[in-house]
Amino acid sequence: MSSLKTFIKSVRNSKTIAAERAVIRKESAKIRTSFRDVHLDEERRKKNISKLMYLYILGEPTYFGQVECLKLLVSPKFSTKRLGYMATMLVLDENQEILTLLTNSLDNDMKNSNQFIAGLALCTLGNIASPELAQDLYPNVEKLLGSHNTYLKKKAAIVAAKLVEKNPDLSELFLPKVPALLNDKSHGVLLGVLHLIKSIHLNDESSHDRLITFVPRILAHLRLLTTTGYSPEYDVKGIPDPFLYVSLLRTLRMIMANVEESDNLEALNDLLTQVCSKLEGTKSAGFAVLYEAVQTIFVINSDSSLKILGVNILSKLLTQRDNNARYVALNTLLNVIEYEPLAVQRHKSTVVSCLQDWDISIRRRALELTFAIMTQQNIRVLTKELLTFLNNTDEELKPYITTQLSIACNKYSPNFKWHFETLISMMKVAGNYFSDDVLSNILALIMQHDDRALTTHLTIELIRASEKYYNEYGLVLVTIWCLGEYGDLVLGSTYEQKDSKKTKSIKESSLVDLLQVFSNISTFEKISQANQIKAYTLTTALKLSSKFKDRGAIESLRKIITKAMHDSHLEIQVRAIEYNEIFFQPASVKRGILEKMPPPPVKQREGVSLLSRSTTLKTKGSSSSSGGNDAGNSGNLLLDLLGEDIKKDASPEETKKHENTMDLLSDIFGSISVNQQQQPPAPAKLQKPASQNDKIIDLFGSSAASSSPSPSPALSIPKPLPKDNEIQAYSDSNINFVFVIKENSGNGFALLEARVQNNSASILSNLSVLCAVTKQQKLQLSSISNTTLSPGDSSTLNVKITGNPGSKLKIRVKMGYNKAGQPVNKQFDFNAGGKTL
Amino acid sequence: MAIKYLILLSRQGKVRLTKWYITLSQKEKQRIVREVAAMIPLRKPKMCNVIEHKDSKIIYRRYASLFFICSVDNDDNELITLDIIQRYVEIMDKSYGNVCELDIIFNFQTAYHVLDELIIDGVIQESSASEVLKKVAQQDQLESGESLQR
Repeated sequence: MSSLKTFIKSVRNSKTIAAERAVIRKESAKIRTSFRDVHLDEERRKKNISKLMYLYILGEPTYFGQVECLKLLVSPKFSTKRLGYMATMLVLDENQEILTLLTNSLDNDMKNSNQFIAGLALCTLGNIASPELAQDLYPNVEKLLGSHNTYLKKKAAIVAAKLVEKNPDLSELFLPKVPALLNDKSHGVLLGVLHLIKSIHLNDESSHDRLITFVPRILAHLRLLTTTGYSPEYDVKGIPDPFLYVSLLRTLRMIMANVEESDNLEALNDLLTQVCSKLEGTKSAGFAVLYEAVQTIFVINSDSSLKILGVNILSKLLTQRDNNARYVALNTLLNVIEYEPLAVQRHKSTVVSCLQDWDISIRRRALELTFAIMTQQNIRVLTKELLTFLNNTDEELKPYITTQLSIACNKYSPNFKWHFETLISMMKVAGNYFSDDVLSNILALIMQHDDRALTTHLTIELIRASEKYYNEYGLVLVTIWCLGEYGDLVLGSTYEQKDSKKTKSIKESSLVDLLQVFSNISTFEKISQANQIKAYTLTTALKLSSKFKDRGAIESLRKIITKAMHDSHLEIQVRAIEYNEIFFQPASVKRGILEKMPPPPVKQREGVSLLSRSTTLKTKGSSSSSGGNDAGNSGNLLLDLLGEDIKKDASPEETKKHENTMDLLSDIFGSISVNQQQQPPAPAKLQKPASQNDKIIDLFGSSAASSSPSPSPALSIPKPLPKDNEIQAYSDSNINFVFVIKENSGNGFALLEARVQNNSASILSNLSVLCAVTKQQKLQLSSISNTTLSPGDSSTLNVKITGNPGSKLKIRVKMGYNKAGQPVNKQFDFNAGGKTL
Repeated sequence: MAIKYLILLSRQGKVRLTKWYITLSQKEKQRIVREVAAMIPLRKPKMCNVIEHKDSKIIYRRYASLFFICSVDNDDNELITLDIIQRYVEIMDKSYGNVCELDIIFNFQTAYHVLDELIIDGVIQESSASEVLKKVAQQDQLESGESLQR
């Protein structure tokens, strides 16, 4: 049996990849065969496990060796145990079923008198604990936490933290141990207990008050560290134990995040000032601690002088040559901007220059920061920089930039003309990276402005741009739409062509030519985009046919439509056929159908963030909450709790829209009432103006029923009196939310009925209820009985929860409804009065 | 302040050591290693040591012919992670006696032993370099003492 060294050498000396794979395969097979041998002696087993480890590092599958690793653990020899534990930590993880076989070995070894053996067991438990292991082995950890051996205490503390993470109920068990541990002098133990505190804080909300009582002790340690002199053991380039520093600051930051005025806060403020002033003079070595201190300053309720100190430190970091310091400073400034926007504005020029930096990470940070510091004053300058940046950046960032920039323009643009020209420039460069709702917003924006001259000018600009940049999806889409709506306005005007500098006059034929170019483009990446363009082209062709006078032009337009009647895409074919029908209607009728669209409302979107951030550390109005983006904080908050447990109540909004189009389509073949607006396949944000619909219907005298859902009959149900098994969950002026416990027999299963009652005087529609339970439990929701509530009406939904018997019943509920057209969202926690499964 | 995983990579992208502090399937681990191996060796020397990758940050530093690569959450302190990597390298240097890549290839057990004495579950357990060295040396002595006894 060759040794490990020989094996490694033979792998490394293989001349080709094929030879290497052959060596590996052969050895792997040898190891597997030898494992099957019942009488394998320990020495050979150890050799094989060592080779297995090498296979692991190479990335080869090692699952066949799992049980063998466990066999090594029962040996009394230390070297065997050491190898066995090392291998176990690598080859096993908490998802393997074999993990439970470890329980016995770990249990015995943690009681071993040899501190190193106990240490090995602790280390393994800390790295690969599962909830079951946590449940079985926490007594051992508890005992070791109380031992006098510092080596074991420090490991036990970290393991305890891991156990709390796997099983949050254990936090109540470990919390009383914390004070004793906090009094220890050894840095290792302190690091461990601080981690335990953080873990308890994260996993158990009820512990927050008790944890605050530990703050004086933590502050004392921080004070000691600040005033301590040089200590060779812990020193890192002149700073005494930066690891402990950072850990202390981080823990304080976590505990004191939402605390209002108190002595602790004052003491912390003083200490932070001390820390910052002591370390300000240091060079790069102290930056890690300074960075942590500055972050802490901006999370807790510090006084303004401290905040100014923080910003100054950040500016110092920003001007360093070290890339890491600059990166870190840019990142923190994003958080700071909420509190001290003026201070950050001072650094605008630095931020802008960082946009051109050759390091991608710094560019990204600078980009996010640029959007954050945008105001009405600096938007012009910043936009210029951003457009240059957009030109040169890579694909990943383009959608982010286009979305953010359009939102920023919406908020801060000085006038509409500039706004629109910026949008056109953006579309020229990155037209393929616009998301659909941004495009709809742009169209809505155009329609909102009534100024004919401006609209004419804009349309001409669009035509100019799209002649050259017909590859950009966003630009083409907007241009086609505008041609359809405002084509008649631009007839007769002239413009200078981009390349040839010739003045071209816009005639009907030129517009038709442009349309034909667009409808024949097939260079878009996504089929859906190409189909959208075709669909829009058809509609525009139809609209223009009623506006044009030239017979030749109208004939060409008709040809465009008839050609599409044989298109392979269903939607396009249907549209083409419909439009063909309309084409032959008398002119007066056509004009009625194809009038200008009234402007839809412009959707206000919030900004999106480039990097998803956790919200546990900041509660002061998360500045980067999402619009419709998954990187949003509030979305993450709910989702983090849920994991896969979230069950969404289907909001019938989408189905309603489909119902609308379906009814109208069927009407088309009966009478000829047509849905005038484009509904792009993506969920349409443009709302259907009800008045326009009525006009069309009147025009034809047909009975095209608008399929708005009939409101539920108004019943005046008096508010039900709470019964024994009914628990009030939430109540405000609009909604009364009650949970009725139907079944809770204590065997890990509960059936609840959630009842939502409308307390207000108006109709609430689009009711949606989302529920979440803790990770250890499972949730099943039925669909809600009724999504529209008239005053006094109520709707119910059934909630089934399964989980560990005896675990607490806790549900987080998020409700959404529309009141008088305004969407409202409410979130609350329901504790079931301490009931358990 | 938790490290999600630690990977040691050669300049050519060959893996010399991996340690995972989060639970992932074998496939996912391979995917991550592939992505990291494609990204990191291409970085120029003066560049920032932090890369934003999907929803976490990758922090790395090059020592001689090896890249030491860690992944942390978005909120974690990047600079202190660099200090942790530095500590690890220093201790290994003292353990092996002027460590080089070849040492780690043939004696990976020692690298793992040092790592397990420095970090548990992605969290640093001992900030004193001499203490870590002492414990590792004591355990090594115990092992060699046993083999002498045979």
